[in-house]
Amino acid sequence: MIEMDYSAHYIILSVILFTIGAIGFVVRRNAIVAFMCLEIMLNAVNIAFVALSRRVGNLDGEIAVFFVMVVAAAEAAVGLAIIISVFRNLQSTETTDASQLRL
Amino acid sequence: MSLPLIVLGALLIASALGVVLAQNPIHSALCLVVNLVGVACVFAALDAHFLAMVQIIVYAGAIMVLVIFVLMLLTIKEEERRLAGLFQLIGAGCMGAFFVVVVSREALQQFPVEQRTGESVVGSVEAVGRLLYTNYLLPFEAAGILIMAALVGAAMLAKTSYPRSGDATSSGSAIEGEGK
Repeated sequence: MIEMDYSAHYIILSVILFTIGAIGFVVRRNAIVAFMCLEIMLNAVNIAFVALSRRVGNLDGEIAVFFVMVVAAAEAAVGLAIIISVFRNLQSTETTDASQLRL
Repeated sequence: MSLPLIVLGALLIASALGVVLAQNPIHSALCLVVNLVGVACVFAALDAHFLAMVQIIVYAGAIMVLVIFVLMLLTIKEEERRLAGLFQLIGAGCMGAFFVVVVSREALQQFPVEQRTGESVVGSVEAVGRLLYTNYLLPFEAAGILIMAALVGAAMLAKTSYPRSGDATSSGSAIEGEGK
């Protein structure tokens, strides 16, 4: 069986997902939804990492994905705690309400 | 490309659009769960079995539970119809279209569909684990420290009582009054 390499298709999928995430991050004003768009972008990059890792033929790309996941988990914990503390002060999670850069 | 993979890609794009377009944040969160599980399926299709499992455990399990808990705590009111200003929408659309066209063309040129030459690697638990504990031992330990710091930081940020202000509601309204 001849195995074909479709890295380009996975990269195009990854680019489309990244773009949807980026546009959502710009367009939505709810901080939690913006955070979810961030997760979409991170996952899109992970798909590209794994596809290219497979094409090149070593596992270093997959290790990079593992560390991206670690940082994403840390970022989720701190980011959501910040959203909670902003909500406590402003009674809102809209990003436009927190434009003062102070409490 | 086989048919299941095309369907999977369509599902991923549809659920990502669902996250962006849903009015209610809870619907966004549920679409995001579908998206994350779909990404895990893509990892499995690419022979990255370890990452597929970690994706489900960490993202679909831990992070999404955290997000939904926060949504539950904050009693969000529904966002009004207007997503953003027209200028913002046009800017985002142009950026997105440019990005997709340029990178896709580049990717198709750089990585044409061809017969696989290199030996196939399988990201099994054993292979990835071996690499993590040999070549990448120091970053792995540093990741542990990072997680620990994030945990302490999150607990400190989210705790209710601050030393200098009495109770949260009165200080909140005082700050709001000051902002006017």
